[in-house]
Amino acid sequence: MIQITNLSKHYGQLPAVDNLSIDVAAGEIFGFLGPNGAGKTTTIRCMMGILKATTGQVLLDGHDVVNDAQRAKAISGFIPDRPFIYEKLSGREFLNFIGKLHRVDAARLSKRIAELLELLELTPWQDELVESYSHGMKQRLVVCGALIHQPKILVVDEPMVGMDPKGARTLKDLFRALAQSGTTVFLSTHSIAVAEEICHRIGIIRKGRLIACGDMAEIHRQASANNGVNGNLESAFLELTREAEGEERVRDS
Amino acid sequence: MPTILLLLTPTWLTWKNSFFRGAHSWTRRVSLVLLAFGFWIGTYLVLRRVLRYFETVHELGPALAYQLLLIILLTFLSMLLFSNLVAALSTFFLARDLDLIHSTPVAPSGFFFARLVTTTINSSWMVLFFSLPIFAAYGSVFGAGVQLYFWLALILPLFLLIPAAIGALVTHILVYAMPAKRIRDLLFFIGLFAFLVMYFLFRFSQPERLVQPESFGNFMQFLSAMETPSSPYLPSSWLAEILAGTLFKRDTDQGFFFALLASYAMFLPLAASWCSSAVYLDGWSKAQESRQGRRKLVWLDRLLDLITQPFPAITRALMLKDIKTFLRDTTQWSQLFLLAALIVVYLYNFKVLPLDRSPMPAGTIRTIVSFANLGLAGFVLSAIAIRFAFPAVSLEGKAFWLLQTAPISLRTLLWSKFWLSFVPLLLLGEVLILCSNLLLKVPGWMMTLSLITMFLMTFGIAAIGVGLGALYPNFNYENAAEIPTSFGGAVCMIFSIGFIAVTVMIVAWPIYTLAMSAFHRGRAFLPEYSVIAPSLLIVLALTVITVVSALRVGIKNLERLKD
Repeated sequence: MIQITNLSKHYGQLPAVDNLSIDVAAGEIFGFLGPNGAGKTTTIRCMMGILKATTGQVLLDGHDVVNDAQRAKAISGFIPDRPFIYEKLSGREFLNFIGKLHRVDAARLSKRIAELLELLELTPWQDELVESYSHGMKQRLVVCGALIHQPKILVVDEPMVGMDPKGARTLKDLFRALAQSGTTVFLSTHSIAVAEEICHRIGIIRKGRLIACGDMAEIHRQASANNGVNGNLESAFLELTREAEGEERVRDS
Repeated sequence: MPTILLLLTPTWLTWKNSFFRGAHSWTRRVSLVLLAFGFWIGTYLVLRRVLRYFETVHELGPALAYQLLLIILLTFLSMLLFSNLVAALSTFFLARDLDLIHSTPVAPSGFFFARLVTTTINSSWMVLFFSLPIFAAYGSVFGAGVQLYFWLALILPLFLLIPAAIGALVTHILVYAMPAKRIRDLLFFIGLFAFLVMYFLFRFSQPERLVQPESFGNFMQFLSAMETPSSPYLPSSWLAEILAGTLFKRDTDQGFFFALLASYAMFLPLAASWCSSAVYLDGWSKAQESRQGRRKLVWLDRLLDLITQPFPAITRALMLKDIKTFLRDTTQWSQLFLLAALIVVYLYNFKVLPLDRSPMPAGTIRTIVSFANLGLAGFVLSAIAIRFAFPAVSLEGKAFWLLQTAPISLRTLLWSKFWLSFVPLLLLGEVLILCSNLLLKVPGWMMTLSLITMFLMTFGIAAIGVGLGALYPNFNYENAAEIPTSFGGAVCMIFSIGFIAVTVMIVAWPIYTLAMSAFHRGRAFLPEYSVIAPSLLIVLALTVITVVSALRVGIKNLERLKD
């Protein structure tokens, strides 16, 4: 469903993403992990056609995000790490606008808005201006916007930041339910616990390069193969990123 | 719903919701409407009087009015070109909702035209607002009737669209060629340069020459020069030709000029759209790349350390932070070039004043002009204070929490802002007064009175700017330029001008007494400091009251923010 092939993005001389290739199947929740500044957000922005890659290709359900952008975007939803919402619009007006951008027909749209607002517990505030929402409420509204057109692919960048435990639980359940119904979820996160809990497969990126990819067992295998580390995903993640640092130090010397 | 209209709905809904559900009180709205209405009426009456005066000049009236119309429209065009360049950069490449819009399946052409409409509205509404009383005054004096408004409704949208399309086109090309965050700086320099060149050209071309027909070979030559646009290839001249046909009943081919205007208003947006489809994604991608590093200027750090030495440690730290932030923001300090140009032109005016042709004794007329200059210089200072002192607190922006949580008093904060505004304003004010009085060759007592009054007045102007800036802070601004144009900025301007007017009225009495005594005696007179002293004492008292109350109001409001 998502095919990233040899994707690179350079900012001047600096490679933010370096020859990245990932395939994600339909109905899969793919966790995208990495330390700060590893290139996660840049990858996601290239995937959504917001940033033009230096080289490489991204196909969403077979549609190229650069050459066939409108079709690729029509089947995908995006939840950015720092989402923008028009502060002077009410929650319902905002969703109505997003739904129309995705060409959802009017009758279906109002039904869908009501469903999503109910699901994410925003119904009582639907006619309040967004400026009066708390951070968590804004985050949930953005989730509603990303799901308004029932996308085949959902790309999520750091979804749990600022969410209370109940909101986080609702979101995790939602991602699971979406995957079960065939939606592909590409989830970038700092939270190893979240990745461990809901992701089918995980990719770990460091300095723009994919350094490990596979299901939990494979990630543990890769971490322990060289260093004999056993334990949870956090230990494996720390070991893999540390190992990469070590390799670099050896390379630099 | 067409994509263009759909993409404009957030803008429309934002306006609607801000108006009906915003936190602003109705008193504030009504005062804004009254302010706007007062401005309209004022502009209309002043221009009508000027045009009526032109009409009294036999044969030449309409030609003079036409030349004035050309100058006004050319000024509008240059303002529109500059503001569209800046607005296009924001709406196409730097707006905060671009990620959201670009992650949806919106057609590029729909996006382009919706943003072009937004750019046109954002950068043109003020010009439209200023222009309507001007056109109404022309219509009323020259009896143009409904026909004028018909033409205006037809040609103004076309006239506004041309600079917007040029702005979008140039911005796309510039952003494609270099990173957007650099371009905003570049645009300010281009704009400032263009403005300065136009201002100098206008000033040094001496428009007063136009009312001295003896400088032309014969009357017909002069009249012909007056009835011809100086730049026939500019859209402002086409607009002037169309309006001249209706206003002055001149035999111009209105259809031809309308076709010219319409064809450019249709072609340029299409050309910009083609350009956008070719380069937008690359440019937009580049626009998100961060600014490059800067060199550290050791000598500047040392100089700033030296200048701020006399202040206490905390005030000094705040001042250093403010000065460095100011100097590193090109959009802020580049305006100083504009200021320098304005001062040169301001002082040049005093040099060319034909005072010796006056029927009054030279000493008296020079004193009267110097007195008027005191008020005018105060007005210039207050305009600068609105631009630099009023936003001082708001510029803390979203980092204001840092000062709120730091162990410093708000009083210290506001006083540091005050001194930082006061010193440059004082230097500027005294230089203006000293130079203009030297050029005017005023008597010694007038020089002393002006310099002391300006010294005191600067305290009040700086305090009103900083204090009311703290009373109406806007920490959530998107663009620093929007801070002085807010409601608080208007209130600040009114108070500042009121303070200057009262001060000038207080010193008017000794100046009148001494100037009139010289007029009756017909010669220069000796200084009479006993006449000046009481007025200066009253001005001193007024200044103290103004400074204390303005800063106190500001401090109280900042303290209320904690509640």
